Amino acid sequence: MQRNEMPSGALVLLILRVLRSGPLHGYAIAQRIHALSADALRVEEGSLYPALQKILRKGWVTAAWGTSDTNRKVRFYKLTRDGMKQLEAEASQYDRQTKAIQAVLRTA
Amino acid sequence: MRLRELLRRIHYLLNRRRFDDELAEEMAFHREMAEESGGVPLGNALRLREDSREAWGFMWIDRLGQDVRYVFRGMRTSPGFTAAAVLVLAIGIGATVAAFSAFNMVALRPLPVRDPDTILWFQRHAPERTVSAVPYPAVAFYREHTRTLSAVLAMTAAQVSVEGAEQPLSAFFVTANFFDELGPRAAHGRLLGVADEKPDATPAVVLGHGFWASHFGSDPSVVGTSVRINGKAATIVGVVAREFSGLAGDTPAFWALLERHGYFVHGSRLLTDFSSGVGMWGRLGPGVSAQMAEDELAILAAELRRQHPSDIWEGERLLSAPGGYPPLIGATSIFALVGALVLLILAAACGNLGSLLLARGASRQREIALRSAIGAGPGRLIRQLFTESLVLAMMGCLGGLVLGSLVLKGIMIWTDAPVWLDPTPDWRVVTFAVAIGFLSSVFFGLAPALQIARQTQRKTFGRTLLIGVQVASSCVLLIVAGLLTRAGERAASTDPGFEYEHVIVVELSLAEHGYTAARARSYIQDLSVRLRGIAGVEDVSVTSTPPLGGLTITALLQLDGRTLAVFIHQVDPQYLATMKIPLLRGRNLIDGDERSVVVSESLARRKWPDQDPLGQPFKIGDETLTVVGIAGNARSLAIRDPEAVELYRLAREADLTGLAVVARIAGATEALAPAFSAAANAVDPNFKPQVQLLKDQFDQSVRDIESGALAVSLLGVIALAVACLGVIGLVAYSVAQRTKEIGIRLALGAESRHILRSLAIQFQGTIIGGLVAGVLGAAGLAQLLRRELYGLSTIDPIAYISAIVLFLFAVGLAALWPARRALRVDPMVALRCD
Repeated sequence: MQRNEMPSGALVLLILRVLRSGPLHGYAIAQRIHALSADALRVEEGSLYPALQKILRKGWVTAAWGTSDTNRKVRFYKLTRDGMKQLEAEASQYDRQTKAIQAVLRTA
Repeated sequence: MRLRELLRRIHYLLNRRRFDDELAEEMAFHREMAEESGGVPLGNALRLREDSREAWGFMWIDRLGQDVRYVFRGMRTSPGFTAAAVLVLAIGIGATVAAFSAFNMVALRPLPVRDPDTILWFQRHAPERTVSAVPYPAVAFYREHTRTLSAVLAMTAAQVSVEGAEQPLSAFFVTANFFDELGPRAAHGRLLGVADEKPDATPAVVLGHGFWASHFGSDPSVVGTSVRINGKAATIVGVVAREFSGLAGDTPAFWALLERHGYFVHGSRLLTDFSSGVGMWGRLGPGVSAQMAEDELAILAAELRRQHPSDIWEGERLLSAPGGYPPLIGATSIFALVGALVLLILAAACGNLGSLLLARGASRQREIALRSAIGAGPGRLIRQLFTESLVLAMMGCLGGLVLGSLVLKGIMIWTDAPVWLDPTPDWRVVTFAVAIGFLSSVFFGLAPALQIARQTQRKTFGRTLLIGVQVASSCVLLIVAGLLTRAGERAASTDPGFEYEHVIVVELSLAEHGYTAARARSYIQDLSVRLRGIAGVEDVSVTSTPPLGGLTITALLQLDGRTLAVFIHQVDPQYLATMKIPLLRGRNLIDGDERSVVVSESLARRKWPDQDPLGQPFKIGDETLTVVGIAGNARSLAIRDPEAVELYRLAREADLTGLAVVARIAGATEALAPAFSAAANAVDPNFKPQVQLLKDQFDQSVRDIESGALAVSLLGVIALAVACLGVIGLVAYSVAQRTKEIGIRLALGAESRHILRSLAIQFQGTIIGGLVAGVLGAAGLAQLLRRELYGLSTIDPIAYISAIVLFLFAVGLAALWPARRALRVDPMVALRCD
């Protein structure tokens, strides 16, 4: 079992990012992150659902029931306008931070 | 942003069940999909779901719900423990709640009048003196000129004689705006107002509710009838509602207008004279502070002084105090004392409950071990155990509120408290009860919870402390009860130094009936002659301060840096003989002897320990008198103070209207009282003085101390019972814990007394420590008590020793009962058990 623990802030950022292209259900979010990271990041239930509840509470996404590809009733998460703003803010902050860290790593 | 988040959380809270079901379904779907694609499910599904729900921050409600449900389930399985715990706690909390409600009722709650917070009560004040009576002409001047006060109210009390009533009755004379400003309801008819002030209006009075009920049998048809007050006709126009308190916290038989004082009281100069005064209140105008009102009135007083230089003092100002609250004079130390006593009961109850919980914790060791084995951390365990205490505390709190209110209601009925005092618990009382409940749950529940959760049963420190608290607090209560009982006995048994069995007092209040000094002199002479003519009357004399009458005149004497209050009796030469107070040395006062004084033996000893008191000068105010005689000690004005000192001088012209007549009778006093009333009626049919048997007043003052002692004894017995319960529990627990050891010792041939001694040694430190703390506490409390009760000795060895013996006896018995079980231990059984 490989454990790629990521800070919860980063997980929220990734969730918001994959939802930008359209509503997804929980399992699909995990799959999408897994696929997009070239199988490097695995999102477990234990961290995904608490993070989803948190961003629901924050109002960055809304949840609505729909039907999955496999014709099952499932909850889809959709990015809200607040969520979009939050994504932009967090993404640019993350950008700045990684650039700064890389700068240190490169020169030190 | 924050607000919307809060709304979302509330929405979640309200639809929690649906949200949780949806989450469960969603996560089940996730799991299925993961398994289909060959993943392995990780972790406990329930646990994961709880973690997700944690994001909303409402999990504590679930946990609290679980804990509370668990507590109630546990209570159902041990109803005996639950009942005992709630009862002990209800007693402890109930005592504090009753005391606090009483305090709340008389000190924190305003009087039931309109806008009580804007009413101020005024007193005259100059650098040297403070007087509560303000001359009516000054009140009228302030009322006319003030801009800070929207209304000025005045009131004065008087005793009036009413046709058909044997005893004089009380009347309050108030300004015409009084009822309008304070807004009481009329139970019947109408109240007095500005219209009654007109000179041509028929003189009207309003009845107090209590008097209307007791005297007219609550008959509404009395409204409109006429009544003769001090011989003057007046119409009863209404009855004031029962719940009206007035501003003095007391309600009279009659309310009349102050502007009519001259009509009802013959020769009254109250409205025109600066020498007398009335009570003055004011209502603050909108946006005005008390300080602004005081400042303005100081300026007005200075202006009035220019017009009346001799009547208004130099630098006079009016001091304000909140007027919408019951007047509390000198009651704070009583409340401090009662507070200390009830907190002791609460401490004993909490200590007791704490040890009960610990003992119960011991028997729950298995359950706790199991719970911690399946993953409950110490935090979770403490929270659950503390929830138990909290639930107990809240049940005890409810019981305490009910019990406390009932006790308070009972006390109010018993002591005949004013009807406008409302004992129903208000938000303050409920808040107080809940706070006390919470604090006591911390006190009795937290230590056991910590100890149980940590599984450190062997450490008995917490237990020892809890027992020590119970021992100390019950000990304090017992000792104080003993001190009070002894003080009561002493007051009843020692000779007060004057005759009280065979004396009748006629309280005259001539000044209030408008008598001048000359008329008073002839009234008293006439009455004395008539009284002497009654068969059985041995002696008649006068005094300005009748024995045990509550009125005292004192001179303050500086002796060795201490202030000594000397009770001054203004009498006639016959007084000492009438009251059978012996003249020990020198001579008695004689008529016209205004510069002489007879001092009590106690005063002579205090003031001139090494000199002959006879012939010594004695200063009272600006006068210097000469000591001519020494009389025996007679505590007629301070029955409870064995150290009281007094002196006797002649009553002068100015004292005549304030005198009372005392008479000594040969036989029983009861039979002669009607003859005395008849004699007074023959002198002036419009004026009925109060005829009292001195014996009744003496018995009453002894009863006051005795009922105080009884009440504290009751508290002491409750605390003792609670402490005994605690000791039984403690010894029983210790025996249970040491069964194996005792078994071994018995098997090896130890005798019963050895076993008992080994048990006793374990607790002697706690008991002795508690006793020492208790004795010290009691000595401290006795100091506080002494300020109220002079007869109380702070170092009364009999009270201390008997309380300690009683305590040890009761606790010893309580300990022996469970200890017997230790002796019946069968060594074989004890060794076989784990």
